[in-house]
Amino acid sequence: MKQQFTRPVSVVGTSTLGQRYFDDPEYEGLSIYELWACACHQAMDDAGVKPKDIDKIVYSQFANFVTAGNAMAMVGSLEEWAGVAGKPITHIEQACASGYIAFTEACNAVASGKADIVLCAGVETPKHFNARNQPAYMIQPISKYDGWWSPGRVLFDTTYYRFDGVSDNLLTEEQGKYYQKHYGISEETLDETYNAMAVNLRRNASRNPRACERKEYTEIAKENGYDDVMDYMRSDHNPKITQYIRKSGSVLHNVAAGAIIVCSEEMAKKLNKKAVTVIDHASSSNTQRHPYCFHQMNVDVRDALYKNQPDLKGDDLDLMVTTVMTSGEQLDSAEVFGYLPEGKGYQYELDGRTCFDGDTPINPHGGDLSFGHAFGAAGINMISEAILQMRGEAGGCQVPKPVNTCLVRGMGGGHTTVGILLENQQ
Amino acid sequence: MYKLRPILKTYYDSLEDGKVLGMKCTDCGDVVWPPLPTCQKCGGYNLDWYDMGDEAVIDEIRYEDSSVGGDYTFRKANDYFVDKSPYCICVGHFPRGTEQFHAALYGVTEENKDELISQLPLKAKVKFIQLDGGFKSVGFEIKK
Ligand SMILES: [Zn+2]
Repeated sequence: MKQQFTRPVSVVGTSTLGQRYFDDPEYEGLSIYELWACACHQAMDDAGVKPKDIDKIVYSQFANFVTAGNAMAMVGSLEEWAGVAGKPITHIEQACASGYIAFTEACNAVASGKADIVLCAGVETPKHFNARNQPAYMIQPISKYDGWWSPGRVLFDTTYYRFDGVSDNLLTEEQGKYYQKHYGISEETLDETYNAMAVNLRRNASRNPRACERKEYTEIAKENGYDDVMDYMRSDHNPKITQYIRKSGSVLHNVAAGAIIVCSEEMAKKLNKKAVTVIDHASSSNTQRHPYCFHQMNVDVRDALYKNQPDLKGDDLDLMVTTVMTSGEQLDSAEVFGYLPEGKGYQYELDGRTCFDGDTPINPHGGDLSFGHAFGAAGINMISEAILQMRGEAGGCQVPKPVNTCLVRGMGGGHTTVGILLENQQ
Repeated sequence: MYKLRPILKTYYDSLEDGKVLGMKCTDCGDVVWPPLPTCQKCGGYNLDWYDMGDEAVIDEIRYEDSSVGGDYTFRKANDYFVDKSPYCICVGHFPRGTEQFHAALYGVTEENKDELISQLPLKAKVKFIQLDGGFKSVGFEIKK
């Protein structure tokens, strides 16, 4: 692929901190600040750089006001915890697209020539918060938050969209409606497809120690007396939470931090690290006013990315990593970007071809449904998983073929979609 | 020169008077609802208030079983509705508008949904939804 920056940009470091819950014993006594420091240092160690080498930080967090003690602009403290106090830092808040946007802004800072080495990092705790009158390690479940916090509603502003009664689940469900309408797939087939997708993603996650939920559905099914996992997936153990989406097809929220080191190509050569080249990025934002807005953002981003890559078809990519807030998103995005054939992608899910060891792997790390999803950190974690795959360092969920080209496609808030093309060129 | 004037207040005030306002671009004729001070088609800012009428055309009905609860992220967005009667989501357009929209649609039930869906596109009257914050928003209701 042809890289699109005036100054070439490489990724030379990533964190590998897992997705966990604050209720896990291994996270006893920790706060988001320790996780942040850990992720930042993992990425710097991996890149072989020290805090003094960092020229700029781009940091992503979405719900800091609610979950971090009603704090805003925590930039100074976060810098101190990572040893980069005094450096320029930019905070990105664009819901669950924050991490992807932070990455693209980190790339832009390097591409502009203004910075040689940029630390791009995020942290988020969707299900716990610390109260405004207590230190950050004293955390409580989000249900105890004594203020208004509804992740499904904060994403809609107070001009019109918070008050029109259009719920986000119906919008994510549009992808199912769109699929049925255009390709004549029955609701039953779609249900089977979504269930197969959940089983496939969990199978991937079961081999990834960084994933949050690692018990395979086949095992869970057996424990509940089902020999056939698909019978279990169709059962009341896995109820529908919207018309199409079952519990297994809905995003998993957990705490996470993540960090990536981006630098110029010359700097990557000096560091003598296995560098992944950032080819290009694009994004599109929209509102729920537009029917099929999720689908349309995929189309917009595909067009923006692919117009600069005349030979790229999508199905020639080695890997696709894509946000899957609900089941339909994986299928829609994979088809829009041409990674799976239009209207036929469902069969790939049913046949297990999208598993990490299939011929068209998608989300080998387990995806948001099983790997987990930490709001503003999610994008960085997803890009990290792509980088690990491209280096052949993903461990048990490593795609068993060379992964030299990868599309990372992320979505947040129902209003921003990002596409990032990566390639091993060195 | 951009005309600094209340857009939101004018819109919500007019809903109290039973009128749904959009805006029409005097440069290219595009109509936007809900109203915005910038034309979504040409980018101009010369827009005038425009009465959208009291009826829309419903193009698609997204029936949802309202007994399906969702989790804490995915749920019905009627938190602030005074009247909690069930409704579903539709895709529709104003005959005088340019773009399709999403909206709440009342009058669709488990019993009549298949018949109504088979009759699409359907006309529906504007239904003013009372919000507990002391204002109204716009939904639609299938004519009986
Ligand atoms: Zn215009």
